[in-house]
Amino acid sequence: MPVVPRPARPASLAASLLASLLVLTGCAGSGGPGGSASDDTPVEGGTLVYASGDAEPTCLDPHVGGNYPQALLAGQYLETLYTKDEEGKIVPWLASGAEASEDGLTWTLTLREGIEFTDGTALDAATVKANIEHLQDPDTASSTGYLAVAKIKSMDVVDDSTLTLNLSAPDSALLESFSMPWVAIESAQALERSQADNCAAPVGTGPFTVSKWTKQDSVELTRNEDYTVPVDGADHAGPAHLEAITWKFIPEAATRYAALQSGTVDMIDNAQPDTIKAAEDAEDIDHLDAPRPGASNRIELNSSKAPFDDAKVREAFIRAVDVQDGLSSLFFDTAERSYSALSSVEPMGYSDESAFERDPEQANRLLDEAGWTDRDSQGYRTQDGKRLSLTFPVSTNQSVPAEQSLFQQFQATAKEVGFEVKLDLLDLSSWYDVLGENHYDLVSAPYTKVGPDVLSILFHSSNTVPAPSGYFANHAQVKDKKLDALLEEASATTDADERQAKYTEAQKIVLEGHYLLPLYDQQNHFLYSTDLHDVGAMTAVASPTFHDAWLAK
Amino acid sequence: MAGQTTSDPTQTRRSSRGAPTAWRPVGVWLARRAASAVFVLWAVATLIFVAIRLIPGDPAEAIMGGPGSQASAEALESARVDYGLDRPVGVQYLTLLGHLATGNLGTSYSLKIPVSEVLAAQLPGTLGLAVGAWILAWVVALGLALYSGLGGRGASAVGSALEIAAASVPHFWLGSVLVLLFSSAWRWLPPVSNGTVAGLVMPIVTLALPLAGFLGQVMRESMVTALNSPFALSARARGESEAGVVLRHALRHAALPGVALSGWALGSLVSGAVVVESIFARPGLGRTLLEAVTLRDVPLVTGVALVSALAYVVVMALSDLAERLIDPRIRGR
Amino acid sequence: MTPVSSTMSSLPGPFPRGPGPRRRPGPRRRPGPRRWPGPGVILPALAATTACFLVLAAVVPWWLAPTDPLAIDPGAAFSSPSLSHWFGTDESGRDLYSRVVHGARPSLLIGAAATALGLGLALVLGLASGLGGRWLDAGIGRLVEVMLALPGLLLALVFIALAGPGVSTTIVAVGLTTAPGYARIIRSQARALRGSAMIESARVLGHHPAKILFRHLLPNALGPVLVLATLGVGQAVIWASALSFLGLGEAPPAPEWGAMLAAGRTYLGSAWWMTFFPGLTIVATAAASTVLGRSLQRRAVGA
Repeated sequence: MPVVPRPARPASLAASLLASLLVLTGCAGSGGPGGSASDDTPVEGGTLVYASGDAEPTCLDPHVGGNYPQALLAGQYLETLYTKDEEGKIVPWLASGAEASEDGLTWTLTLREGIEFTDGTALDAATVKANIEHLQDPDTASSTGYLAVAKIKSMDVVDDSTLTLNLSAPDSALLESFSMPWVAIESAQALERSQADNCAAPVGTGPFTVSKWTKQDSVELTRNEDYTVPVDGADHAGPAHLEAITWKFIPEAATRYAALQSGTVDMIDNAQPDTIKAAEDAEDIDHLDAPRPGASNRIELNSSKAPFDDAKVREAFIRAVDVQDGLSSLFFDTAERSYSALSSVEPMGYSDESAFERDPEQANRLLDEAGWTDRDSQGYRTQDGKRLSLTFPVSTNQSVPAEQSLFQQFQATAKEVGFEVKLDLLDLSSWYDVLGENHYDLVSAPYTKVGPDVLSILFHSSNTVPAPSGYFANHAQVKDKKLDALLEEASATTDADERQAKYTEAQKIVLEGHYLLPLYDQQNHFLYSTDLHDVGAMTAVASPTFHDAWLAK
Repeated sequence: MAGQTTSDPTQTRRSSRGAPTAWRPVGVWLARRAASAVFVLWAVATLIFVAIRLIPGDPAEAIMGGPGSQASAEALESARVDYGLDRPVGVQYLTLLGHLATGNLGTSYSLKIPVSEVLAAQLPGTLGLAVGAWILAWVVALGLALYSGLGGRGASAVGSALEIAAASVPHFWLGSVLVLLFSSAWRWLPPVSNGTVAGLVMPIVTLALPLAGFLGQVMRESMVTALNSPFALSARARGESEAGVVLRHALRHAALPGVALSGWALGSLVSGAVVVESIFARPGLGRTLLEAVTLRDVPLVTGVALVSALAYVVVMALSDLAERLIDPRIRGR
Repeated sequence: MTPVSSTMSSLPGPFPRGPGPRRRPGPRRRPGPRRWPGPGVILPALAATTACFLVLAAVVPWWLAPTDPLAIDPGAAFSSPSLSHWFGTDESGRDLYSRVVHGARPSLLIGAAATALGLGLALVLGLASGLGGRWLDAGIGRLVEVMLALPGLLLALVFIALAGPGVSTTIVAVGLTTAPGYARIIRSQARALRGSAMIESARVLGHHPAKILFRHLLPNALGPVLVLATLGVGQAVIWASALSFLGLGEAPPAPEWGAMLAAGRTYLGSAWWMTFFPGLTIVATAAASTVLGRSLQRRAVGA
């Protein structure tokens, strides 16, 4: 879903550009293809072999569930109503526009005309309605998309290209939500099939279609020969250059990189820091860095129970651990330190470096003040015979190895001031169980969403209440009436400045309350062969799309 | 890593006594084997049924998008009804047995398609890998046994050391080292399956070498024993060359314990496949199993377990037959 | 993942043997003067040396490696092997030599405990089956058959999903998966002993069954069990490291070999030493245990 004339290109196209691009929050870059400038005429045809390190989705329809691996794939065959341009602005894509009523409770959405799904049906208002109903249907079991359209109460089809949305409460994040692949628009006719069929081959309007899915191996995507870019003014509006994409799943990081090195695949995601570093020296491999929107990668401190119910202890922990040293050695300087609750690509992010300066002396002082004055034989602080012990469940599915190692280093530096950190490596199911039972003091959970509204999901007190499945997103368990009010107001306002002010205020409360320790952006690094050109078009959630890409070989 | 453990060659021989002989109809043997197979399958299904119910976590959640899904209470409830999870445990168990008896393995929680379809899609990959590795292991083991048998003391020492080293190498280490050398450093072989024979080389070698080490150890012992036996002596006395003695008589003996270990070898290959398929990103039952357990996909775990158990039963029967073909003395028993 | 039985064809004791002559003539010897110590000497000597080092490392790791295996030094991360770091350093700058040495205790402990558990379980099953009545024998035989029919890793995976990952879970999982194989061997051992002249005569003399069990059966079964244990420990170490590799064993940063390997494989391309040295240690441990077990076994046979 790139935006014309040039899609967002949060890319470090050459190794030397890397540092500056990181400062520019990854939204820089422009124009020309990565690597060679010798021949810029796109070659038609060829099959791109892409290797993903993310878990293989159990369903290719991102409405169902709704995680990042699904978004990565869906960007090739589904398109969204809105998308993000180079400057991070939300702009129409399949939609031609949307207007909110004065009270913010009614939205009128208009659609572009003449757009067809790959099954031959046309995009119209009824299709969009069917999609949103599909997301809201409990049987779909949507989580990400469900939350995004939760405030839509009812819809009225005005005519073929006009849809009225009636909201239960004003939602300033609605268009941001519409830009996410989890709310992508599928053929209404295809949605009527059984869920198993729809999961196997969703039908959209994208430049490619799903032709075959070999479980645990690959998804075959074939060029949509009738594709045209919905937006006017594209320099390449017709079908994709590539004839097909083979989307492989290679979970082992070392194997994945070896596959790229040996030329078995053309592009990999989830590139590990050491291989990014190694690729800088490799002449035939380029690097693309695309931080994800939404929340930054951060550690949340569970404020609902001892010892972190005491803000002093929370601050002591944040001051005690050494982030910087580990960051530069483990990530080979490929990850920039974050001091914000939000990703650096979020324009409304608020940073406060001073809140996270390392200061072991102050940490010791704070812990003394909080009454953790005694030390046991192993050097850990105690209070009334109880050790200052923190449980830190780590999901091996969500934390890359370098991050797990960083946590081990926190364990070591926290010990210096007397914290015991118990790291538990868990698979996803067990990890959610532990969170659901409130058996954690520290946790790191990624959350990708377009726009600052992610703050409401992460910090509104209503999100401390688990869903029936046990899931809740407010892991720091912040319950602050003032914060709740700010978040609600920010969500309700349609005035951009007011929105920014409210969200900034909200972020200050969170940072000053020592509820979290930001680490870095959600890392999203790609490595690709220099044979692959014009890579860098992105969806709103920073997953690559290959409409413009071509292979020189 | 390799397979579960041990199956004593002597045991297979014991069971083989109840097998077809000149005066006992083959039918009885077949019936016994079939009865035993049914029993094993029933027990495996029961065991998995009980074990999985003790695992923490709501199966309905596994159905509704897995952990972290924000499925509503109604959605979870309807999933429970759809998959019969709302019924008493006893009824669920009997339903399971009823379905299994008719060959219905149920529907996968995570993939929402019949388990039999998943298995049918994944089986060929693992089967090809396992058969390839099994053949290679036999070739290497026999080669080593021959080399040791014919090459004298020095060769025997080298062979023995090689076998022990091979048998002591963990699959995941071997696989990683091979990828490092052949894909990253020299770029000779693709580290993942790409539909060509070259893509199969490293996975098969990784899976085969440790197995070859174990097979080699038993085969060589058997061969050495045979070479010192009276019939080898008499063959030599008849003027047969040493090579002739080895090829005509000793090989047969060397093969026997290897055949007897087939059941164990199968378990070793299946367990090894979990690791090898992960490292080399190959589709197959091993990875299916790993993911099914992680996702708490009960029907799929049961399905994979049943397929492996069935394969075990079949392999045991085949190895029994093979032993009979190789060793005339068993035939007479 | 042990085909312990694969090397069991020459167990001491009255074993029902495979094809071939019942008496094993021992390693093939050609006439002529002994010029060099054969494989029968070199390998066991090497294995014994390795085993000594491992035991030393497990008991007094500080003697061999004074550096703290948990001490991080991010500035020195990913150092290749050198005089100051013999095996190099890992991603957090921890000294790998020290970690390998200090890893001996947890790794061997897991291997030994798992083997002990597996053998203990097998002893109960095997003796009950070998000495009990027909029905008991048949019942246990079926149970063992079912356990054998399930791939070991499946058993371990399900068990870990059940009990959560960790050291004790790993021990039980590995113990459970190795038990049925041992049980079969012990059963046949017990069977053979029961039919032996010694036991027959004890029975004829009217000795109490318990006395027969403790006086005659157990001491005679002990030798083979020891051999099994020696052979099994190395393979149990491999098993446990495989579980760690799949992320189901001991949690890092604890210096456990399998966990170290799992951590190192991410950096395979840039820091080979992180994978190589722990892997080599596992191979050496498994090989030493096999060689020692087999030479014990030969000695028992008297070859």
